[in-house]
Amino acid sequence: MADEFEITDEMRAQFGVDGTPWTYEVTTTSVRMYARGIGSDDPIHYDVDFAKSQGFRSIVAPLGYIGTPVFLPGKNDPTFGFPRREGGPRLNIPFKGLLDGGTETEYLDVICAGDVLEETSHLADLKLRDGPRGKMLFVTNEAVYTDKATGKVVAKQKLTSIHM
Amino acid sequence: MTQVYFEDVAEGAEIAQLKKNCSTQQLVLWAAGSGDFYQIHYDKDFAKGTGLPGLIVHGALKNAFLGQLLHDWIGERGTLRKFGCAYRGMDYPAQDILCRGVVKKKYSDGGKHFVELDVWTENPEGKKTSPGTALVTLPSKS
Repeated sequence: MADEFEITDEMRAQFGVDGTPWTYEVTTTSVRMYARGIGSDDPIHYDVDFAKSQGFRSIVAPLGYIGTPVFLPGKNDPTFGFPRREGGPRLNIPFKGLLDGGTETEYLDVICAGDVLEETSHLADLKLRDGPRGKMLFVTNEAVYTDKATGKVVAKQKLTSIHM
Repeated sequence: MTQVYFEDVAEGAEIAQLKKNCSTQQLVLWAAGSGDFYQIHYDKDFAKGTGLPGLIVHGALKNAFLGQLLHDWIGERGTLRKFGCAYRGMDYPAQDILCRGVVKKKYSDGGKHFVELDVWTENPEGKKTSPGTALVTLPSKS
């Protein structure tokens, strides 16, 4: 099944089609947890009073963290947490293996605890390559994060996953 | 934190390195922080069942390490505009991950002072496991 997989015009037709927007929350707890995960000891990610003394509205999200998708049982992936949104691409990928392929982030503003973001995402690219264990499918999604309070786009991100 | 200024930066110069060495506990902390609970990062049997030699470090965690490298370098008055990397090789717990960056180009435009860098993570064999690029702005002394 996986060996016979090919990218079809039907799949390519899904490029650029946004799924249902999803809410991402940036909280003091989530910022601290992420900062602990990377092993940072910078108080800008932990101490609200310190962050405010530096001119920020609250503790600052470490680079790479753009909030956590709101989890609704049955509507988010239980392993990865990402939303299984309506209207998004349906590729029926037959490969069982999955690896991260890469991440690119463009920052248009500083993200702080207390921010509530609306994320829209769409399929941007598909590539099929031959790997050491057979075919490998590279799936690239593009996401845009907008601050719900201000309507300003704060970040854009390109995420590539590798299915094999 | 020492502030680096645009005038201090030379093309071809390397920025201060950041060394990481992930315990399995750190991988679990990262899983909780990022929401990525893929078992290849904390369940050795599961990881081996997928054909991996054992637990591996999350790709996005290495991306975040590069974010920390840049955050530490640009200081309070610098701004990160864009950064990213590809995950070309696996890194493992209890093994050094060296985060490095080299200034590729510097220029001023519209009153802003931009610096482009090549950034990457490096394993103990010297292989670039997460090569990428970054664009930052730095303050000027003038």
